[in-house]
Amino acid sequence: MILEVKKLQTGYGKLQVLRGVDLCVGKESVGLFGPNGAGKTTLINAIMGIVKPWSGAIEFEGKSIAGQATHLVARSGIALVPQERELFPGLSVADNLELGAVYVPRGKAIKAQQLEIVLELFPILKERIKQYVGTLSGGQQRMVAIARALMANPALLILDEPSLGLQPSIVAEVFDRLSILKKDIAILVTEQNVRESLKAIDRGYVMENGAIVIEDTAKGLATNPHVLSAYLGI
Amino acid sequence: MANKRNAAIFAALIVAAVAGILVWRPTVIIYGLQAAGLYASIAIPMGLILGIVHIVNLAHGEFMMVAAYLTYMVCTALGIDPFVAMIPVALVTALVGFIVYKLTIRQALKAPELNQLILTFGLAISLTQLANLLFTSQTRKMSFGYVSASLSIGELSFGVYNFVFVAIAVLMVIGLRLFLTRTTAGKAALAVGQNPKGAAIVGIDVDKTYGLVFALATGMVGMMGAIFITRSSIFPAVGSPFTMKSFCLIAMAGIGNIPGILGASVLLGISENFLKAFRETRGWADIVFFVLIITVILGRSIKGKKA
Ligand SMILES: Nc1ncnc2c1ncn2[C@@H]1O[C@H](COP(=O)(O)OP(=O)(O)OP(=O)(O)O)[C@@H](O)[C@H]1O
Ligand SMILES: [Mg+2]
Repeated sequence: MILEVKKLQTGYGKLQVLRGVDLCVGKESVGLFGPNGAGKTTLINAIMGIVKPWSGAIEFEGKSIAGQATHLVARSGIALVPQERELFPGLSVADNLELGAVYVPRGKAIKAQQLEIVLELFPILKERIKQYVGTLSGGQQRMVAIARALMANPALLILDEPSLGLQPSIVAEVFDRLSILKKDIAILVTEQNVRESLKAIDRGYVMENGAIVIEDTAKGLATNPHVLSAYLGI
Repeated sequence: MANKRNAAIFAALIVAAVAGILVWRPTVIIYGLQAAGLYASIAIPMGLILGIVHIVNLAHGEFMMVAAYLTYMVCTALGIDPFVAMIPVALVTALVGFIVYKLTIRQALKAPELNQLILTFGLAISLTQLANLLFTSQTRKMSFGYVSASLSIGELSFGVYNFVFVAIAVLMVIGLRLFLTRTTAGKAALAVGQNPKGAAIVGIDVDKTYGLVFALATGMVGMMGAIFITRSSIFPAVGSPFTMKSFCLIAMAGIGNIPGILGASVLLGISENFLKAFRETRGWADIVFFVLIITVILGRSIKGKKA
């Protein structure tokens, strides 16, 4: 297993959000679905050390990372594309991408190759390489966020709503690219756009109210009556 | 369009004003620029802290005062020149800055801004009182021949030593710019300033970066303390007006705008020396910065409302 989350409970202040979450990711692509406020981002924040777990375990490549500082989690090989992008608006695209690689040993080692790969994935960024990220459109910034995470050459890539704010044709493109990537990297992705993402994932979880309610393969999810009615509008 | 034209008119007015004063009272410009150099080189490190750590360090001038006393002790004990003592003094002040960051500032980073202001204000008072206890309120002075170097052009004769501060200020701006835009550590520092959460996500140690930037800035102002004592006498409260003026200059330039501090300093230095040139207005020179800061903040809020 690359990532293993066991009986995880956490929240903000006194507000409990996750009520015992079990989830794992192997060398595969895993989806995490659920309504707004279900706790998807909170789970990701707990994995990244942005919120501290109250109880339960988080293991990455067999080592516990529960409660570790965010920059150490990142250096160990987990890259995050946050829901809010969290880029450096006053730095160029090139600098944003470079900073994605240089503090992660496994990214730093192959920085130049990795840059070629991500620019091939997102050709528009090649044209905008010197531009300040703050002056890019929202969709282009989303691409920078994904590219920055890939620069770390992560063992696990976590994407929190990567299609948010992207036009449908680009969404399809992003998931196309994720399908290419998943051959090499483990992926955990949350999405409102269940239909598109089901094409790109192997397995998925449905989270409601801070707990996992369904766990199945992509095929299974696509025919699950609850998923069909609640998330695919059928 | 209109904006560009306004800026052009504004620039032309300033150039005309400066040219006018230059012909009429050349020393206003000369001493104004020298003062600007001193103000800017002290304000720039404070601007660096505000731009990256997002803390207004109200103990900034007091760090300079502490470094000046340290220089005084070292130089009188060993008989060396402050320009020699400047590097070790800067290193020691940087270390003090780092420790102060770890022990105090760091704990207040997540607190409301008012708490941070009270903390650094308290630091300022503590440092001043410490100097009072150790050195009393008596002024100390060191004299160096090179400080009285002067230049005569025709009728005009003026001191040139203080141009040293202009050079330092310009070097600081250039050096910081190279550091922040050309080195990985510098880019990481900018990234932390712009988005600490995003920086942590890519593996940057945000807390360490804050600590190092704070240390770098206190080291820089420590170096200024060493040079300051070559031209001025020192006493425990000597740093406080520099804290105020630095804050004013940073506010004028805008957060994160380090080159802008140079421009703001020139405006402040020349305005002060303009008032000092006349006996009737001499007493007003020390509150110019107050008028400037109010004007700038008012101007900015009016502009903000329009936009
Ligand atoms: N920083 C925070 N402080 C306090 N409460 C928070 C914070 N972030 C999220 N919450 C609360 O935690 C709950 C879960 O939020 P979370 O962002 O994890 O949901 P989500 O599944 O990612 O939703 P979405 O699909 O809207 O992104 C919500 O009730 C939210 O109000
Ligand atoms: Mg979310």
